[in-house]
Amino acid sequence: MADLRTQAKWDKAAPNFDIMAGKGAEERWAPFKTELFSHMDGNILFLALGTGLDIATFPTGKNITAIDISPKMLEVAQPRIDNYEGTITAHAMDVHDLDFEDDSFDQVFTSCTFCSVPRPVEGLKSLRRVLKPGGELFMFEHTGSRYYPFKVMMTLMTQISRKLGPDMNRTTVANVMAADFEVLEVNNLFLDVVKTIKAKK
Amino acid sequence: MDHRLYFVLGDLSANLVVGALIGWFSWLLVDTDWNMMIAMIIMMVVGMVISILLWLPFSILFGAMEVMVPLMLTGMLSGMVVSMYLAMESLGAWTCLHIGAASGFVSIVLIWIFNNAVRGTQPAPWR
Repeated sequence: MADLRTQAKWDKAAPNFDIMAGKGAEERWAPFKTELFSHMDGNILFLALGTGLDIATFPTGKNITAIDISPKMLEVAQPRIDNYEGTITAHAMDVHDLDFEDDSFDQVFTSCTFCSVPRPVEGLKSLRRVLKPGGELFMFEHTGSRYYPFKVMMTLMTQISRKLGPDMNRTTVANVMAADFEVLEVNNLFLDVVKTIKAKK
Repeated sequence: MDHRLYFVLGDLSANLVVGALIGWFSWLLVDTDWNMMIAMIIMMVVGMVISILLWLPFSILFGAMEVMVPLMLTGMLSGMVVSMYLAMESLGAWTCLHIGAASGFVSIVLIWIFNNAVRGTQPAPWR
């Protein structure tokens, strides 16, 4: 059963999401996302697709299964899905409750997802379940910082930001390890806040 | 730091503007009757909160976390420094704007230096 509270939050954000995130953040992160997504190969699960802003940085010709908890977000994403030169099959689905068989995917990609998943370790364990043995996890995420004063600032900010959208102080690398993934690489892109994480099952 | 000129100038201008505005806001609130330490602590917090509000328009143009984190630091620094001066002596609004903008400049330069130190592939153990 989907987390209806989280779904409602992102449904509400969907109509204006591209105004906030469609220019500055996407242009800034595009080179890093393009590099990360260039590793796409085999049977791919992507989450969370949102309004499909990330599709512009996908390599062409891939067969991608994408999920998002918000049906409204996927409605906004549909034109971008249609224009992709490959196949994207999108489902409204909660990462905590994936409707896929065990060992279904070769790779899982996430993009600014685990700042918003309410129970991140459970969500990551769910991803691990649907990954084939030796399958790879590629993440583009923002997390909290372990450095002061940023750590305090982002913890305070989270009290406001989580009402509207994401948390700012997640410990995503530790969560990936807690979900029994083997972390292969952590690459800081901005301070220790924006980063890519590569791991395998 | 991001080497693309659009983002370098965007980050710089956002921090100069927000620092100046918080300097001016401090000038509206704080005067020589305030205890210096209390003024610095209060305006540090107020500056950070205001910077979050001012982040919204800049985030649309220049990005999310890369704009928010420096602006929060600018808010803290500008609020703290300008209120420290205001608790010691009477200053004009224009002077406070300048001190605030200078605080924003210092903040973004510190962020650029620190970012260069911590970015890149991280050695294990990861946290």
